[in-house]
Parts: sequence; structure tokens; C-alpha cells
Amino acid sequence: MPRRDDIKKILIIGSGPIVIGQACEFDYSGTQACKALREAGYEVVLVNSNPATIMTDPQTADRTYIEPITVQSVAKVIAKERPDALLPNMGGQTGLNCAVGLAQAGVLEKYGVEVIGCDIDSIETGEDRELFAEAMHDIGLEVARSGIAHSIEDCERVAEEIGYPVVIRPAFTLGGAGGGMAYDHDDLLRIAREGLALSANTEVLVEQSVEGWKEIEMEVMRDTAGNGIVVCSIENLDPMGVHTGDSITVAPCLTLNDFELQRLRDYSLAILERVGVACGGSNVQFAVNPKDGRVLVVEMNPRVSRSSALASKATGFPIAKMAALLSVGYTLDEITNDITKATPACFEPSIDYCVVKVPRFAFEKFKGASERLTTRMKAVGEVMAVGSTFEEALQKAMRSLEQGHAGLGADGRTSYDEENFDERVATPTPERILYLAEAMRRGWSLGRLHEATGIDPWFLSRIADIVAAEGSIRELGLRGMDAEHMLAAKEMGFSDTQIGYLTGQREETVRAIREVLGVTPLVKTVDTCAGEFASHTDYHYLTYERGGADEHVDASKPRVVILSAGPNRIGQGIEFDYCCVQAAYALEREGYETVMVNCNPETVSTDYDTSDRLYFEPLTFEDVMNVIEVEKPVGVIVTLGGQTPINLARRLKEAGVPIMGTQPEAIDLAEDRDRFASLLDRLDIAYPPSSTAETLDDAKRVARRIGYPLLVRPSYVLGGRGMAIVYDDNDLQTYMGEATKVSPDHPVYLDSFLEDAIELDVDALCDDDQCYVGSVLEHIEECGIHSGDSACCFPPFSLSDKIVAKIRETTRRLALSCHIKGLLNVQYAVRDEQVFVIELNPRASRTVPFSSKASGVPLAKYAARIMAGERICDLGLPAEDRELGYYAVKEAVMPWSRFPGADVTLGPEMKSTGEVMGIDTTFPKAYAKTREAINYDIPMSGKVFVSVCDRDKRNIGPVALSLKNLGYDLVATRGTAKTLHAAGIDCEVVKPVSEGHPNVVDLMVAGDISFLVNTPHGHSSRGDGTKLRSEAVNRGIDMATTMSGATALVQAISALRQGPLDVYALQDLGHRW
Amino acid sequence: MNLLVDGGKHPKALLALEDGTVFEGRSCGAAGETFGEVVFNTSMVGYQEIVSDPSYAGQIVTFTYPQVGNYGINAIDMQRDILHLRGVVVHDMCYTPSNWQCVQSFPNFLAERGVVAIEGVDTRALTLHLREHGAMQGAISTVDTDPESLVARVKAAPRIGDHNYVADVSTKELKSFPAKDGKAAHRVVAYDCGEKAGIEKRLAAVGCEVTMVPWDTPAEKVLAMEPDGVFFSNGPGDPQTVPPTVEAVRAVLGKLPVFGICLGNQVISMAAGAQIEKLKYGHHGGNEPVMNLLTGKVEITAQNHNYGPVFSTFGPLVPELSGGFSEHAGDLRFWSERRIAPVVQTAHHGRVRLTHVNLNDGTPEGLQFLDIPAFSMQYHPEAKPGPNDSTYAFVAFIRLMDGRDDYLAIDVREGRRF
Repeated sequence: MPRRDDIKKILIIGSGPIVIGQACEFDYSGTQACKALREAGYEVVLVNSNPATIMTDPQTADRTYIEPITVQSVAKVIAKERPDALLPNMGGQTGLNCAVGLAQAGVLEKYGVEVIGCDIDSIETGEDRELFAEAMHDIGLEVARSGIAHSIEDCERVAEEIGYPVVIRPAFTLGGAGGGMAYDHDDLLRIAREGLALSANTEVLVEQSVEGWKEIEMEVMRDTAGNGIVVCSIENLDPMGVHTGDSITVAPCLTLNDFELQRLRDYSLAILERVGVACGGSNVQFAVNPKDGRVLVVEMNPRVSRSSALASKATGFPIAKMAALLSVGYTLDEITNDITKATPACFEPSIDYCVVKVPRFAFEKFKGASERLTTRMKAVGEVMAVGSTFEEALQKAMRSLEQGHAGLGADGRTSYDEENFDERVATPTPERILYLAEAMRRGWSLGRLHEATGIDPWFLSRIADIVAAEGSIRELGLRGMDAEHMLAAKEMGFSDTQIGYLTGQREETVRAIREVLGVTPLVKTVDTCAGEFASHTDYHYLTYERGGADEHVDASKPRVVILSAGPNRIGQGIEFDYCCVQAAYALEREGYETVMVNCNPETVSTDYDTSDRLYFEPLTFEDVMNVIEVEKPVGVIVTLGGQTPINLARRLKEAGVPIMGTQPEAIDLAEDRDRFASLLDRLDIAYPPSSTAETLDDAKRVARRIGYPLLVRPSYVLGGRGMAIVYDDNDLQTYMGEATKVSPDHPVYLDSFLEDAIELDVDALCDDDQCYVGSVLEHIEECGIHSGDSACCFPPFSLSDKIVAKIRETTRRLALSCHIKGLLNVQYAVRDEQVFVIELNPRASRTVPFSSKASGVPLAKYAARIMAGERICDLGLPAEDRELGYYAVKEAVMPWSRFPGADVTLGPEMKSTGEVMGIDTTFPKAYAKTREAINYDIPMSGKVFVSVCDRDKRNIGPVALSLKNLGYDLVATRGTAKTLHAAGIDCEVVKPVSEGHPNVVDLMVAGDISFLVNTPHGHSSRGDGTKLRSEAVNRGIDMATTMSGATALVQAISALRQGPLDVYALQDLGHRW
Repeated sequence: MNLLVDGGKHPKALLALEDGTVFEGRSCGAAGETFGEVVFNTSMVGYQEIVSDPSYAGQIVTFTYPQVGNYGINAIDMQRDILHLRGVVVHDMCYTPSNWQCVQSFPNFLAERGVVAIEGVDTRALTLHLREHGAMQGAISTVDTDPESLVARVKAAPRIGDHNYVADVSTKELKSFPAKDGKAAHRVVAYDCGEKAGIEKRLAAVGCEVTMVPWDTPAEKVLAMEPDGVFFSNGPGDPQTVPPTVEAVRAVLGKLPVFGICLGNQVISMAAGAQIEKLKYGHHGGNEPVMNLLTGKVEITAQNHNYGPVFSTFGPLVPELSGGFSEHAGDLRFWSERRIAPVVQTAHHGRVRLTHVNLNDGTPEGLQFLDIPAFSMQYHPEAKPGPNDSTYAFVAFIRLMDGRDDYLAIDVREGRRF
């Protein structure tokens, strides 16, 4: 069937902010869908609240609404745009839920919007456990024995029937949020309570445990003609019991034979048909009993997913793009395979390499949370590696993580928990894979390991081979290794660093000797067909093979290598991917051939369509140099991929690699605090007094000199890791003890902390001659909250033109003095009309996408053009101080609910996973949109609990008064109540948790509290506040934990009272983009 | 196995091609030397079914998936007990398999069955080489590891086309296979040109009692057995080396319902007067898209052949049954794009319809005789290994024997229950 002509305009719903379980894989799929549908001639309207995405770039869709993904808000977009159709399955669970909501609210019917790609009934059959189990029974398939429960009593009854252990899964939540395995009654109570609270319809499934069974996923596509294909099979290294998002997974499936695999294929296609997936991609998960091959259907997702993104990258088959085309009537045989350009998309990719995905975690950010991996996803990102063997791919993946590993251990960088060693081997945690290898080094038998972990002996044998090879390398020594041995080591995936460690040599020496031996990597191609047909797409990986058959083809155009950002993590995520993708687009137009290097399968940058050439490789010095030696670029861009490529810049330059834009010397200048301080002194620019200290006594001396409070942090860390504010000697003593653990042998930085100062972020461009300040962002939260966790507003709403002008001027002087060529970010603090420079980052910052969309100036694109030699004066940029007529607000999204036990406090260490943006005519309206976008439904009446620290007591009066005037009743603890009473504000007094019942938590449990204003003191407020805030997170109660946040919230509520908010398309904001 | 793991205990081996290309590696099967036509198979699993498929007689099979042997060898999936292929080429051989059905490791199995195999080869490079230059003669040796000498001896070795491999692999006597559960609805005689066990299992499953006869059994003998239908199996090599089988087809066409797979499709085509061509590097894999022109649906199929019929040589098109077209199209995707199943007039066997087309390269994949009860497929509806999309072919054969006209328009995938 050819494309449908009866629809012209299609609405796509994105997935909103990056949260755990729903990350930038949906930017990848959504962007593909927008591109594919526009190329097919449709007009695309997009709604997504996430400004960091490529998808919300005004060029991706025809009409772009950065608005909350709520029924209310999307309904307004529908009313305004009148699309003919809605494609709901590109935006993850958020998009699907919103579509179901729109259907149920009658919006789709009212405006005559047809749902394409899947229908609402099939979404429900896929999602609703009971309906799904029935459907599976219909086609003769088994699901795990289970029962639906709507209360704790139900849960207990079902668990009794099935027998422990049981798995508890809440309905309608993403990434399995709120689920878990209960081994006994106590576990059951704890997990069920949480699950029931998180489920949209207070429903959980209590299910037979299949712990230890193989977990297999099939990525399936189907078209309206009924053609079905399996794009990829994925096998989890960790058996059932660990969420697939938290598991190490491999593609293709490695331990099933043809009969077993074809059976799963048949089941998958039948499941899609039965559930009613008319067309598009779905993910089907199975549990396979390793003892007898028995198969249970675990679940299916009738939409693109994290797994489908992984499968697309693993095979070169773009599932989201195909799904979009299928939704408008094409059939699979009518679409041409992008890679071969000669064969149809209606086939099943055959791959001739092994892909390993390893998740990346951030437990170090959430002290108190358990590291045990469960059915509830906790990973914040992932890496994928491609190799000729599982062994090579696994080692590449381990070094791609950027967590200090040079491979699967054998690098002297892991210390093992000796006391609990056996337990650490047996328990699934982020480090378990390293413990497996270490256990083998210590002589554990494979039988014992299998017994302890349930991991398939095949994987254990492969890891045992890696460990055996490690022993051989150590024994041979570098001198004992001839070309054969060296090749064998590289085929096993050992990095030069590991070989160096094992043979007591430097990495550089290993590299040099390896090259002398003629052992260098070969370029191979991901081509969907295992070499059967010629490939026309430059999607590559490097591997080692005997014989030197290389698939690299030289290009006529000059090449630029763009180093991207690696795995998503807190502090470095999709924002940098956005910058790299923008650069690829811009440089292609400038006549370069762009070469992208990255190892993150979730991203747009690793779409083979984004750059001319894609290398799916780890971002280590060795791997990057390998690409550079093959491609011989005229320049390498290191300033757009966050800290990852910045960390490589110096070594690359020393190796003779041409760095484009800002040079490593400038990077060093900004990062070397002493040199930077003397530059500021020379320029007569103010900065908070600061110093460094190596010992506690040193630190105390500094404190005497500068005075408390101090902002302290270890050197050489990212994302504010280990950063804290200390108010006295006691704090300092505790801190110094911990800091030396985080970063031993490095000094600790101590800055005077500018309490109550306003913090600002500035993103600017510089061509070493002229500097253009793209945005000045005013933070809502005061100094001391990490800029990534703070809300901010563009343009500034509380600063005078004079101050803003001074900030621009200071930025200009700094940029020119540092010889920046490209982007820079400067953080300022303003107190008492005095401007202090906090830091300068000579690279793209996290705020670049937001700044670009808020200001209408695509900064990363211009940065790339500047690096390619264009001059700012020729770019025709708009005036820095132009009137905009609107405000754009960015708000951070926190992952608290994933980490029960961790403290819910904002501080100098970044903890947010994503962000949302709101645009409106005033700051309060724009801020209100961000709250709505994060899914905080602000109750318009009821009781507000107020409890603030002493520091904030002076300022609570006006906020409380406003709340009163808005019609809320106030509840406060004794101390805050005293302040309120003194100010003549009426409030109820309630006991803190520690003083018995009824206390504030009891009120929350009873559903009496609408939201909280609760500001903690210092960095380690434990006890009452912690319990209170955790409880609020569990119950989805909104809260403000800073005074400035509380003020903004009150303003937002007043704005909402004045009537419904309008929606705005970026294309209507009057920029030329 | 990696050199750093096994300490180099497996001897060196060499793979040489007739064009002088040489790959070094190490032995992972029997020691010795073997000559054959080097082909590649892109199935990611199913090595056991592949090596035991008699159609690979005379060939050295390269697996494009780099890690082979992961789940070992089981007792169930053998296609024939005797291995007829000449050799195996892999990137990395697994000596420590894992699967609940596993009874032996793949390398041990190969060694035990005397199959010479080499690992450590850049199989992707080899595949690309064969894709560009076509399937060619080659040798694997653990004895003669001197490249020049081995290449010279490859050049001197006999070609695959020259030899009748069917005679080597076919049964020498009659064999009987009962229908599943003993309930035979139809009696079928199968010409064994190298039949895969998967085929008789599928036939048994749909209620056929199968009598297997040697490839050169005269038709009179078969007709005398009064079966309900005759089946022509897959098999190795060039169909032009088996004139007796073609003769047998000619004799039974029109007298009994006939069904053929792979080589069977080729001998039926030859009997109907069509010419056979040799494909550059053949179809060997489990992911070939084939459109059933009668349903418009695409089946993902398993394939293993180097030869195939040329559709235009069956005879002139019948325009009124071919969407009005009277000119043959070189690329048969002309028909799949139009959803037309064109019909030709043969010299002696009435009209023949093209029912299946390969969407990768536009070659014919299925034929149906309109005036006599016969149909055939170039691909492997029994799979083994590969997807099960086309198993309806066996139901179609039953329907044909039952005398139904619409016997081929089936989609097994619809409303599937397990």
C-alpha cells in the first residue's frame, strides 16, 4: 500500500524530560520519525517539554511546541493546529499515556484526530496485565502465574497462592518504577505499598518469580499488510530478576539454538497480531528456563523503546523511522533498506559481529540507596560496543563506561570488598561483572559461579577465557609477545592500558610496540546483511583481524572528527549530544565530511544518518586515536561533547592531532585554578576568595582566612561530585575525611560561599576577535545549588540592565583573554550588585540547547561554523540586548523516587537527570508550565506544610502570606509556626516525626497535605526532614526545598489562578533560526 | 579459541582460494586437507542443521556469524547423519558450549565426523571477497600450510559443476517414514536428492506417510506404487548433472500431484523446458524476503542454493493472466511491485504461474502449474534452520493432493495458535 493521502498533518508526542527508564533514546526515535514523515511529505507538529533534544530543534518538525505533555496542554495544541493524525508510540510511556488520556477525554474524537501506528485498545491490551495474560492464553502461550492486586491484602492473598519469591510490578509506570522482588512477607509489604502508590490506577501485579531463567527480548516490526519481521534478538547476561535496562545485554541472542529462537520469533509475531499492533515496532520479552527450554511471556511494549533504539544501533535497521513510515500506510516491502539501497526493509538483519550493552549507574550520587539491581530500573545511561567476539565487545563496553575501567579489570583500578566478597559475587550490582572476573582470578570454578549467580555458563566461560588470556599476557610480558600474541590479545579486547598494566609497561610503549608489530585495527561496517550486499552507509566499528582487510574508503572532502559525550550520566547527557549533532549538521553544509565518534546507543549522534561517517567506538585515547589514524581529519572537535573529549584534548594535541576551535592550552588555563585566578586578577575581575588544601589543618587555616560558609570540592571530578557547603569546623572535618577518599592525592578546593547570591549562567560564542553573548540565564535557586539542578530563566527577570551589561562585558573580556574559538560558559554570582566569576568552561555547557531554543540563536551550530573559520561579524547574529516579549524557564527533573533511602535535598552536587522548558509571556506563567511538565499537579487548595531552617525564617513571611491569600491553610512545625505567628499569619502546629503521632507524615499519609515548603540546613540534614521529603516523593507530593523555589512556586500558582495558559510554537517566536 | 587461552595447542591451518587469496588460521575440526566450493551462509544460528544438510555436498561453508558452536550439538536437529559438506570456516569456534540439549561440542563433532575446519579467519573479509568475485574453489589444509603450493593444488582440483553430488548423498534403498501419530491421510513418494530431515518431519506432521526413493528411480516404478503425490527434494550441486531425475519429473507431471523444493524446483523447471542459471554467490541464509504473489505477503525464508531457473525461459507470457503485460521483465520485482503473478505458456506442460519472487534480487522463488497439479519452491519452507513463515507449503501439498484449486493462497502466520 502506498502512503496515505487522506492525512496531511501529523502530531507526534515526545517523551518529555530525561528520567531513569526514559532517556534520550526517545529523542533518537522521535527525531527519526519527524524526519521520515517530513521527507514523505507530511507536515509534522511536535509536542515535547524537553529542550535538550534534537527533536525540539525548530528545524526537526514543522511546528514545535515545547509545552507540557499533559492531556490539557496537548489538547490546546490540537485545538490550535488541528492535525489529522496522532502518532503516539514514539514518546515512550509518556507519549502513550498522554494519547490514551486524550482519547479517554474525548479530545481526539472532538477534533477528528486519527490515532496511527497503533490503536488505543492495543495499548491497553499490551499494558494491562490481566488483559495481556488473557490474550496470551488465547494464543496458547504461558505467562508467569500471577494475580492483580489493588490493595495490600490482595497482594498478600496472591503471594500466598503463588508462593515466595514473588515479583511485584505496578501497572502503567515506566521502566518498571515501583516494582521489585519480594522474598518474604516483609519485602512484600514494603514493595507493594510503594507500587500501589506509584501506579496510576493503584494496581500492581503479583507474579511468580522466574529468577535465574534466561531473559530474551525480541524487537519486532509489523506492517498493515501483516508482514512481520524480527529485527534483532537480545539476550540478557543477567538472568531474570534484573530489569533489562540494568542488565548487561548482548545482541544477537547467543545461547539459544535455531529451534528455540525461531519459536520465540513465531511467538513474538503472533503476540503482536493478537495484541492488535496494526503496524510499527514492539518489544517482546520472554523468560526461558535454562533447564528445559520452557518459555514464559514476560511482557510486550507496543511502541519504540530503549531496546528498539539499541536494536537499531546494533543492526543498522532504523526501527523508529520504519515505524513512522508504516504508520502512514507504507508496507515493509515498499521501503528500501537505507544501508544497501538495493534490498527492501522487509527482511531480518543478519549481523556478523557481537554487540554488548552495559548500563551506567550513578549510585555514588545517592548515598543511602541500595546498589542491588532489581526489576526496578536504576541505570542513568548505557554504552554499546561492537566487536568480532563477545569478549572483545564486553571489554570495549567496559572501557566505554568512563568509570576508570580500561576493560574487564586487569587495570589495577578496582579494589574489592574483601569482607563481603562472596556476597558481592552473588548479588547483582553495577560492579558484579568485575567481581565475576575477580572470582575467576581467585580460582572459583565455573560451577560455583553459576551456582552463585545463575548466569549462563556460556557467558561465564567467555569471561573465564578473558581472565585466562590476562594471565598469559602477564606471563609473556611485553617482550614475550610476538605479533600473533599481540593480535590474540587485541582480539580478546584488551586495551593498550590493560596490556601495559599486565606487563608493567606504559600505555604509550604498548601502542608503539604494537604498531611496530603491525597489529592495528581494521575498519568494519555495520551493514544489516553480514556482507551479503554492498553497503552505502559509513557506519563502522574497529576490530582486530588477521589479514588486513579494511573497509575504509577515502573521501574527497576534508574530514572533521566530532568527539561526542559517551554514556549519559548525571551531569553529562543529551545536551552534549545535541551540540555534537548540531555541529555535524552545520559542518556538512560547510563542505566537510563529518565523522562522529561515540559509544552511546541512545543518542541521535549515533544515528548513521546524522554524520557522514559514524564510528561506534569507546571515547578513550587509544580508540579515538585509532579512528583519527584511519580518517586523518583536518580537525577534531573536542569542545562540544562535555568533559569526555575535553579530558582527551591535551593528549590528542601532543600526539599531533589538529584540534579545531579552542585549543587545549585555553582549556588548561580555565581549569588550572591558580592560573585562572591570576588571569582574573590581571583583568581586575572579582571572584570569591578561594584556596586549596591537602590536609585538614591546611583546610582549617584557609577557613580562618576566608571565613565560613565555604564551598568545598575535590579536584578532578565532574558534575559537582563530592561538592558540599560547610558551615563550621565540624562540617569541614567530616568533609575532608570523605573528600580524600573520593579523590586521593589531589588537593581540595575551598571557595568562599556567597550565601544568598543570585547565580547566573552565560553561554557565549567567541572567534578570538569578537565575542557574542548568546544568553544570560538567571537561576531561580540561590548560589549553592548546582547549576544543573537549579531552575533558570531567560532573559533575567530580576537583574538591572546595568548588571546584565556588565556580565556581558566581563564575559567578552574573559573569552578574548582565553583565546576561545567556539563556545564558552561562564558562571557568575551577583550579590549586592557585585558581580563575581565562579568559573569558566571553555566548552559547550549543559545549558546550550536551552539557551539556543530560548534565544532563537542555535549556538552550537554557530560554534561549529566558527571553529571551521567563519567570523562572528559575518554570521548576522541578532543584538544581544534585543527585546523578546516572552520568558523561557528551564527546570530540573530529579530522580528521587528511584532511590528510596537517599536524601531529597538540592545541593552543590548535581543529581537531576533531565530538564523541562516552559515558554510564556511572564516568568510565573513559564515557571508554572515547567511544574506542569514535570507532572506535578499543583493542588489549588488544601493544606500547605511549611517548615524552614533558621536561615530562611526571615523570608518565610511573605511567601506564607501569599499562600494564605491564595486560599491555602498552613501547617507548620513549632519553630516555623512561631515565626509565622509573630508575623500575624495563622497556622496549625503539627509534631515533627521524631515526636510521635499524629505528626506531619501522618497528615501526608492521610492525604491532607497539598504540597510542602521545606528547606533543609546545610549539606547533611538528616533525620526529620529526610523522612518527610522521602515520604513526599513516595506520594508524589510537590515540594519546594529552597526559599527562592518557594517564591517562584507561589508566583506560578497565582499565574495559574488567572486563567488557562496558552501554547506557543517555537516557529512563531519571531526568530529566523 | 584464542591463542592466549589455549596456548596454541590447535595446529595451524590454511584456507586457499583458486584466485590466490589465502587466509591463515588454526584447525578447529579434523586434521587433514579438503577441497570444495567456498560459499558463505548468513544465518546467525543453526550451524548444526547447516553442516548436516546434504545440499552442501562438495562445498566449504563459511559462517558469517563470528562465534560459532555456542550451544553445541544436540541429538534432535541433525538433517542427515552423514556429513556431506567439505569443510567449515569460522572466525571463532566455541569449545565450551552451553545449552540444556547439548550433547557434544561443535569442534569435537566436526573432528569426530572427519570434517576439516579452520578458525581465526576474517570471515567478513572472506564473505566480501566471495560477494565481489563469486563463489569459488578452495581448500582448507592442516597438512600443507604453504600458501603457494595449496593455491596451485586448488587450481588443479575438479569443479563442483562437473560432479554428480546427488548420487553421492541420495539413499541407496527405499525408506519409509510414517505420518505423525501414525494417522496417514496421504501417501507420498519422495525422490531423495539429499533431502533434509526437516522436510520429512514437516510432511509427517501434516499427515503424509513418506516413501523415500533414490534420485534415479525410474518413474514407472513410482507410478506403480500408486502414491497420492510425488515430492522432489533439495540436493547439492548443479541440477544439470541429474538427467534421470528430470526424466522422472517429466514422466509424473500431469499424472500425479507434484511438489518440489530447491533442487526439486530446478528439476521441475527443467522438465517444463526452462533453463538453469548459476547465481554469482548463491543464496545461503535465513533472512531472504520472498513475496507470495498470491497473497501479497512477504515471507522471511531460509535458502541454500547456487542454481535457479530463469523465468523467461519457460515460455511467452500470457498477457491476459499477467496484468496485460506481454514482455518478460529481467528483474522479477517488476511483478512483486505490481502484485501480479504472471503466467507463461510452456511448450508441453500448459501454463505456469510465477508465485514467489525474491525481493533482494528479483529471482524466481516459486512456480505453480495451472493446467496440471504441480508446484515448487526454490527456498526452504521447512526452514531448519530459519524462520517458519512458509511452512504452509506442506499444507498446500496436502490441499493439492485433495484437489483444491486455491491450495497455495495460505498465510500460516494469521491467527496462529500454539
